[in-house]
Amino acid sequence: MDDDYYSIDAILADNQKIQCTFKLDVPNLGYLEGGEEKDIKTNSKIQLPHWLAPTLLYQDWVDFAIPPPFSLRVRKALNAEPRHVRLSSLVGGGGQWYSFGRMIVELLQEPQSEELAKVLQQTFHARLVDLMDQAQNFGGAAGSMGGAVGSGDVGDDFREGLEGVERELFTLAQDSARATKLWYESSDKK
Amino acid sequence: MALPQPLRPGPTPYELEFIASDELIEISPSFSMERTRLIHGIIGPFRPPGKSKVPLWLAVNLKLKRKCNIVPPDWLNVEYLQERLAEETSSPAFSALPFRFAEIAKVLLDVAADDLALPDKIRSLLKDLREARQSKSRDGLKKLDHIQLEMANLCSMEINELRPFFVKAMGVFTKLQTDSQGNADDQAGGQDMDFSW
Repeated sequence: MDDDYYSIDAILADNQKIQCTFKLDVPNLGYLEGGEEKDIKTNSKIQLPHWLAPTLLYQDWVDFAIPPPFSLRVRKALNAEPRHVRLSSLVGGGGQWYSFGRMIVELLQEPQSEELAKVLQQTFHARLVDLMDQAQNFGGAAGSMGGAVGSGDVGDDFREGLEGVERELFTLAQDSARATKLWYESSDKK
Repeated sequence: MALPQPLRPGPTPYELEFIASDELIEISPSFSMERTRLIHGIIGPFRPPGKSKVPLWLAVNLKLKRKCNIVPPDWLNVEYLQERLAEETSSPAFSALPFRFAEIAKVLLDVAADDLALPDKIRSLLKDLREARQSKSRDGLKKLDHIQLEMANLCSMEINELRPFFVKAMGVFTKLQTDSQGNADDQAGGQDMDFSW
């Protein structure tokens, strides 16, 4: 989640591709496009990894499109019901939707970036309570009742839709709930 | 880091119980002993009909050897807990219970159930209390932001259970927040935006 040099999560989030449009000809780098062309032509569209994109953007050599995980359609869905959007399917299993989003926020200009940042915050906030509920009930039940919790399918869907950081949080809450439960059930009588 | 992964987020419940076993509790010993100086402090004297204050770990130890009866603390009885439970369910705040009540109550119920009046009733009351408080801390989660979270009267066991999750979640909030502040300066019109770093 952080920009720490050693953070594996940051490196993984960095690896997301962004669709960029070149504004100028670049000689001898056609192989980046994967085609036969020797040069990159103006207006050609290439998926660039995130670590490369900002430099090119600041030099004003490329334009970029907001990646699909943050498209208008997704944002509308998130506004409507944040808990029903499967973030994991937007960025792939274990993908870092929030980290990626934050990187995009940094690339965007003022009104757009603010809007996206707000979407990120609100989404996280809205999903947090459910996340904890799920983690605690799931963790509590896993030991005793084989994971059969009343929430049923909705819960399963929600759990599968969690992205990287949310998964980490889920595990944290689950572990502490389980440890506490074990303690409550243990006995000091020897 | 040398600590195994599961121990990193914070102390385990057993460690909290260990810490709580330093709290003082009253016993009525069934044998006599002179004042004894331990590194930890002075214990005794024990004079049978009289009572004495000792740390919980010693009380438990003596109790298991049938050498004392434990006098339950004044909050560990049905009336008091019932009052707290009523308070808990009627008001949005957490009721004031001793900070380590969960640990002490559990140890006493395990070891010295025969010294308590209506231990089963106490057990179920404690369980109700725990559930009522849990649903409140869940509500507290809705108020979570990147700066602070205020929940008065949370006890040590509850804090310990929530800590890893809340800390990490606040970390994520901070990460999502600083950006919008960096990019949107002060005109972002948010509720927390007037916070200066």
